[in-house]
Amino acid sequence: MSWIREGELNLIEKISANILKAGPMPKHVAFIMDGNRRFARKKQMERQEGHMQGFNKLAETLRWCKHLNIQEVTVYAFSIENFKRSQNEVDGLMVLAKQKFEKLLEERENLEKHGVCIRVLGDLNMLPLDLQQLIAKAVVSTKTHNKCFLNVCFAYTSRYEITNAVREMAWGVEQGQIKTSDVSEALLSECLYSNNSPNPDLLIRTSGEVRLSDFLLWQTSHSCLVFQSVLWPEYSFWNLCEAILQYQLNHTSIQKARDLHQEHQAFVQLEADRACVAEHLQHHGNGKPADARRRQEALQHYATCREERIHDFLEALQNRRDSYYTDLLSNAVVA
Amino acid sequence: MALLYGLLWRLLLFLVHINRALVSWLRVRLRSWKGRLWERAMAALLLPVALAGVPDPQRKVNQDPDANANPVTGNRNAGRRSRWLSDGRSLEKLPVHIGLLVAEEEPSYTDIANLAVWCMAVGISYVSVYDNHGIFQKNNSRLLEEIVRQQQDLMGVDGSKCDVEFLSQGSDKHQHHVVSCWPSVKVLSPEDGKQSIVQAAQQLCRSVENRERSSRDISVSMLDLLLRESKSVPDPELVVKFGPVDSTLGFLPWHIRLTEFISLPSHRDVSYEDLLGVLRRFGSCRQRLGQ
Repeated sequence: MSWIREGELNLIEKISANILKAGPMPKHVAFIMDGNRRFARKKQMERQEGHMQGFNKLAETLRWCKHLNIQEVTVYAFSIENFKRSQNEVDGLMVLAKQKFEKLLEERENLEKHGVCIRVLGDLNMLPLDLQQLIAKAVVSTKTHNKCFLNVCFAYTSRYEITNAVREMAWGVEQGQIKTSDVSEALLSECLYSNNSPNPDLLIRTSGEVRLSDFLLWQTSHSCLVFQSVLWPEYSFWNLCEAILQYQLNHTSIQKARDLHQEHQAFVQLEADRACVAEHLQHHGNGKPADARRRQEALQHYATCREERIHDFLEALQNRRDSYYTDLLSNAVVA
Repeated sequence: MALLYGLLWRLLLFLVHINRALVSWLRVRLRSWKGRLWERAMAALLLPVALAGVPDPQRKVNQDPDANANPVTGNRNAGRRSRWLSDGRSLEKLPVHIGLLVAEEEPSYTDIANLAVWCMAVGISYVSVYDNHGIFQKNNSRLLEEIVRQQQDLMGVDGSKCDVEFLSQGSDKHQHHVVSCWPSVKVLSPEDGKQSIVQAAQQLCRSVENRERSSRDISVSMLDLLLRESKSVPDPELVVKFGPVDSTLGFLPWHIRLTEFISLPSHRDVSYEDLLGVLRRFGSCRQRLGQ
């Protein structure tokens, strides 16, 4: 079954969508698509069939999101913890993933038509090589599309992602590209796998569980969390509308909290810059305390240098990530 | 057309607010009604699932221990303590570490203190209190006093056998009331969340800068160790969220990977039964841990 579903909403759906769109809409929605196996048990079908139905539901949900002008969707497809499942199930999921990515590549033209950019987030080197190569093909071939974005978290946990970001920053320090004092919340966010996306506005988890299960813990600190009891393969347009309504009801208070946090972040950055400048002036000064104007100039100069350093470091990081994919592709060609 | 949809949207929000006001009014009135009637009434009002705060009427705990107790205060307190302890033991599972996330403006110190004391009385070892403005942290001595006062009130003077070790950010602010290793109340603020992850990252980067380790050595367990103030305090298994905001608002992002989130409408005038209801719900959560 296809990744892209064509088709308009019916009249009632269209009217409801238009009513919702009159209010603030989330631009990025994350889904924890939980409940495939329980659905399979309920309908007395094979687990693998439950996962298939789950995938079909994902394709349908993407269609609804398109009609609701939700530009970016992130889904939790496979956790690193899921490797603990029986070898049978893990292999089945890998095979399903390979089939789906192969299908994706077949639909390249359609993806281009709709401008869909696919990104895969996770510790991809944990996956079988042939799956890695398929993923590389899918990601590279849709890289330039920019109408809507689908981020698939595969072999992912948030803790691994945060640790990887810390490792990347430490690599930057090791290479002399950045200083330890450059490490900040903003820089860490830029080193996550999801650095090309804004933080999710809304996180939806289905099947009634009320936990995050190591998904986007950093990125969803100020997102609206909606826990719904429906099983993922049974998710409906109305469930989605309900979640969006919850988002709209929370919008003002969450926005306030976000603004407060950002203000505080800016303050922390300013203080850190000041401390660095003070230290620098102490070491390189001529013993006399610097006047306010000199301090201000030094501060601005320091901030500019810091931003340049960070920009160059992030460029180097992006190049490293791009070359991971191009290496995989060239190996695939040779093989 | 856009104007019409705008009006319809405002109408929709208005209806939802009316619905919610009705529900909270009914919740207060119908606490003692039979379970089935309550559930039917709720279903009829087309409520969203987040009805965590509703106490299960069928298993209502006896609200009035004074009924058969000796008028002497000591006996009443002893009665309450043993009831709370037995309630804790009767639960399917109890969190070792509970988080109280206050997502409301103007927190009430008395109510939070009550909650902390009940949590400890029921057998929870660690209680973390959080609000995203850092109000509790700025006033943590006031909160401590309130907790001690409530403890004496609710559990009697000899209840101070149940000792409170009060920790706040920066362990130079240790305040012991009576020396013991029993339950701990910790006051958290947004600084303990992303900011402490950043500080741990800076520490690791510094050690890489000093050639004490390579960047490749940095692992999840290394970072976890740095973020864990004490080896004995586990991640919070349960966070009770008070208030209408459906967000963690920056609460300990690293530590909440497997935490269950259960919401109550407000921490004001929260009752012991509300807390017990939440703990019962927690008891029914099943974690598969990826499997």
